[in-house]
Amino acid sequence: MRRKIVSLVVGAAMALSMVACGTQGSEESVAQNTATAGEQVADSGAGASISILNSKTEIQTQFEEMANEYEEKTGVHVEVYNADTDTTVASQIATKYASHDPYTLSMVDPKDIYAVADEYAYDLTSEDWAKNTKLGITVGGKLVGFPFCVEARGILYNADAIEKITGEKFDPTSVAKLDDFQKLLDKLVQGGMEKPVGILSEYWSLGAHWFPMVYEEQQDPDAFVKSLLDGSGNLMENEKFKSIMDSFDTLIKYNYAKGSASNADREETSMMLAEGQIAFMFGGNWDWSVINQYDYTEHLGMMPVPQNTTDGSNFNIVGGATKYFFVDSSSDTTDDQRKAALDFLNWLVSDADGNAFLTEKCALVPAFENIKADKLDPLSLSVKTYADAGNMIPTYNYLPDDHMTVVGQEIMQKYLDEAMDRGGLADAVTEYFKSATPIEH
Amino acid sequence: MENQKAKRMKIVRHAIMIVVLSIMFVAFIFPFVMVIINVFKVKSDITGNPLALIGKHGFTLENFPKAIEKMKFFNSFVNSFIVTLCSTIGTIALSSMTAYLIVRNNWKANKILFVLMIASMVIPFQVLMIPLVSLYGGILGILNHRITLIFMHIGFSLSMATFMFHGSIHTNVPCSLEEAATIDGCSKWQIFSRIVFPILKPTIATVAIIDAMAFWNDYLLPSLVLGRKELYTIPIATKVFYGTYSTDTGLIMAALLLAMLPILLLYLFLQRYIVEGITAGAVK
Amino acid sequence: MKTNTLGYKLKQYLLFAGLTTIIFGSVVIVPFIYGLYLTFTSWNGVSRNKPFVGFQNYANAFADGGYWQSLGRTFFYSAIAVILVNAVAFLIAYMVTSGVKGQNFFRAGFFVPNLIGGIVLGYVWKFVFNKALVELAGNISSGHVKSLLATESGAIAALIIVSVWQYAGYMMLIYVAGFMSVSEDVIEAAKIDGCTGRQSIIHISIPLMTASFVQCLFLTITRCFMVYDVNLSLTNGDPYGSSALAAMHVYNQAFVNKNYGTGQAEALILFVICAVIGGIQVYVGKKGEVQA
Repeated sequence: MRRKIVSLVVGAAMALSMVACGTQGSEESVAQNTATAGEQVADSGAGASISILNSKTEIQTQFEEMANEYEEKTGVHVEVYNADTDTTVASQIATKYASHDPYTLSMVDPKDIYAVADEYAYDLTSEDWAKNTKLGITVGGKLVGFPFCVEARGILYNADAIEKITGEKFDPTSVAKLDDFQKLLDKLVQGGMEKPVGILSEYWSLGAHWFPMVYEEQQDPDAFVKSLLDGSGNLMENEKFKSIMDSFDTLIKYNYAKGSASNADREETSMMLAEGQIAFMFGGNWDWSVINQYDYTEHLGMMPVPQNTTDGSNFNIVGGATKYFFVDSSSDTTDDQRKAALDFLNWLVSDADGNAFLTEKCALVPAFENIKADKLDPLSLSVKTYADAGNMIPTYNYLPDDHMTVVGQEIMQKYLDEAMDRGGLADAVTEYFKSATPIEH
Repeated sequence: MENQKAKRMKIVRHAIMIVVLSIMFVAFIFPFVMVIINVFKVKSDITGNPLALIGKHGFTLENFPKAIEKMKFFNSFVNSFIVTLCSTIGTIALSSMTAYLIVRNNWKANKILFVLMIASMVIPFQVLMIPLVSLYGGILGILNHRITLIFMHIGFSLSMATFMFHGSIHTNVPCSLEEAATIDGCSKWQIFSRIVFPILKPTIATVAIIDAMAFWNDYLLPSLVLGRKELYTIPIATKVFYGTYSTDTGLIMAALLLAMLPILLLYLFLQRYIVEGITAGAVK
Repeated sequence: MKTNTLGYKLKQYLLFAGLTTIIFGSVVIVPFIYGLYLTFTSWNGVSRNKPFVGFQNYANAFADGGYWQSLGRTFFYSAIAVILVNAVAFLIAYMVTSGVKGQNFFRAGFFVPNLIGGIVLGYVWKFVFNKALVELAGNISSGHVKSLLATESGAIAALIIVSVWQYAGYMMLIYVAGFMSVSEDVIEAAKIDGCTGRQSIIHISIPLMTASFVQCLFLTITRCFMVYDVNLSLTNGDPYGSSALAAMHVYNQAFVNKNYGTGQAEALILFVICAVIGGIQVYVGKKGEVQA
């Protein structure tokens, strides 16, 4: 008898503690259910609740503030979820779809769209904003990707640091030729800036930002990559490869972290550029989110990568839309939610507040022709100037998925550390492409 | 004479130990000291000179209120607390019972269960990640509840806890004690709850700390199960400080300090039970 | 009472392990079986289609040179880390239970590293290796000193150092519990019989602590084999991918390179290797356990 009582008491205590924990959870879900029920009554989408995955994590705060204001105005509840930087966006979307709980709107990198386009992406062809951009992604005749912002890469410079030594105004076009760039670097060294250059050693910078320029600046990038994939291309003999890597050699020569280059700390490199301890760094306008954390000087900007070339590419930066929204088309999203999501995208493009959110609060270069942007940060301003002048070479979005890790980390990092020569680099990349899985597009 | 020599030896031995311990202690505590130093600085000073006691921009306390606000500290604290408490109690109750059954009965079913449990401890979590959400979210649709997370926490930690209880029941709980109790007419359940369980105190305290710490700090599983912001635990909430291109180191350290306090207190509290050991009386 | 009827056994089993079996089965075993199934598909991780491809993923895994390299590296790393972690943890546990002054303070201090994880851990240690140690070494020797993290073997060494730092305090907990469970009158009795301190450790404490050793070894072996977060936050594979351990390779294969099936298959191979090593160790250890 006593045994039973003891076990009953223990059992009941455990059950109680579990129920106690459980009820709170289920109350919330009840609240959530009523919210969904409410949605179905309203027909204009007001009162709907949508979720957004934000993979541009540096603007999460702005996104959340915007969500509050947006709800006040439209009655649509927007939950913004920050992408997890420890894993990939693709894996987060995968787990969400596996659990039948997808985001209404997901912000992904261009190459992530192809895996979801067929089954989960809603066709946006007939949306109003579609006519205002050429940067949308179309898969199988279906417009699936809403371009969120334009970003570009090039050499970031600190004009204040340069001018302090040279004593004359810095004009980026004067160093478009690598030889001229080299002369300037020598001048800086003589003037006391021993190592004027920073190179980020992260594999995404080397493998997804620097090396792809070899493909992107070809006459026909797609044909060139295909020739590498089928083994017919000759990288070592390619003019663009030579030119881009010559420029890289110059950067290596003046790298402040020379000697342990593969180990440079991104925060530190960015800080040095911001404060003018170095004058140049390869990067993109997204680096502003790091630079603005430090005591940056006034005149920063971005310029094309200097090259000894006559094809004009040394007057162009490389860029394009880098983040895309797709709208979930599965049955886990209600029609009302979908409508609210589509309204939200239109709001971004055609409403003054939406525009202000993009260009002023987040300081992003818009991907739409009708949006004006004049309150940008210095780097984005450079990007916009080049883009508006038509001096932007489009990014190539169909590199194999492991290009970044293999070429960036295993190959380019070695080259950066001077542990591999040019021939070895070309051979290794050629070898990599032989076994790489192409992205269908 | 002999005694004095022994005493001197002991003093020398202790002195050596204190020196060795102190050196190791410095090495072990150094990263923590770095955290303490840097939590009172703004980010640019942290990158600029991590070793400086006070940065160029001066001493600041702002990281704490900022972190508390941004990660909705109190809300996530309560969530973490509920989940950790329930999961730890559940794990200890179930695993000690199971371990007792396995140690004392050489049945085939027990052996199979135990082998499966040991094997399961080496399953890389990635293997289970997608299947887990497919089953619990896709088919059963019970994600986004704390109770689901507690259930899973218990499920994943049972193996190791059982393994630890198994070891200590096997070595430290003498059969003779139970035989006596059986003769006195105690049932197996009574023997377990009144005799065996109390003897296991040091192991219970150890398992409690190890598991509570694991639950408190776990990120991957909660992030898969709790997809709603109001349910976020501290580690998930902390993620707002991590960006693709920039991480807010000052806030992260503030969050770390705030989050580690409860576990540190728990450790200091439970330590007594670990160290107390088995008092001689209980065994005889 | 009859204790060998099936009914009695069933009742006892359900009473003591019923709930355990249910929870453990539904959280670990069932998803595992489903995960096993996924290794036979060429699923990309997100699509509704999971085309069945038989043993293709295993063939891919066996052909993936990078995987075997990372596995070799993991063996090397684990072997050293396991020995060091346990040696350090045991030593600390012995010292902080020997009645030395301030042992409570030390116990708390050695426990603290457990509480620092993720990016803070990576950040702090990167600083230690890249700045503090480089500066120190630069003062001693002349010329440029490379950070440990910038060289291939150095990065692995750094991983080992951080693992020892992180896990030693954890294992210390278990060893402390082990020392404490060796009942004091046994030691007293030994002393009366003329045992010196060292003798009583070797002949009495250590044998009685077999359970602690089995547990700690098993935990360190499995943790080291599957280490991911330290790897990610400290080196992320740098330099040149030379410090990517098996779990990281598997993770990148599945989610960065989007070969979910192959990644899953590679993870399972890792699991089997781990299970075999861990299993042998537990089996041997349990045989040596002293029953009270």
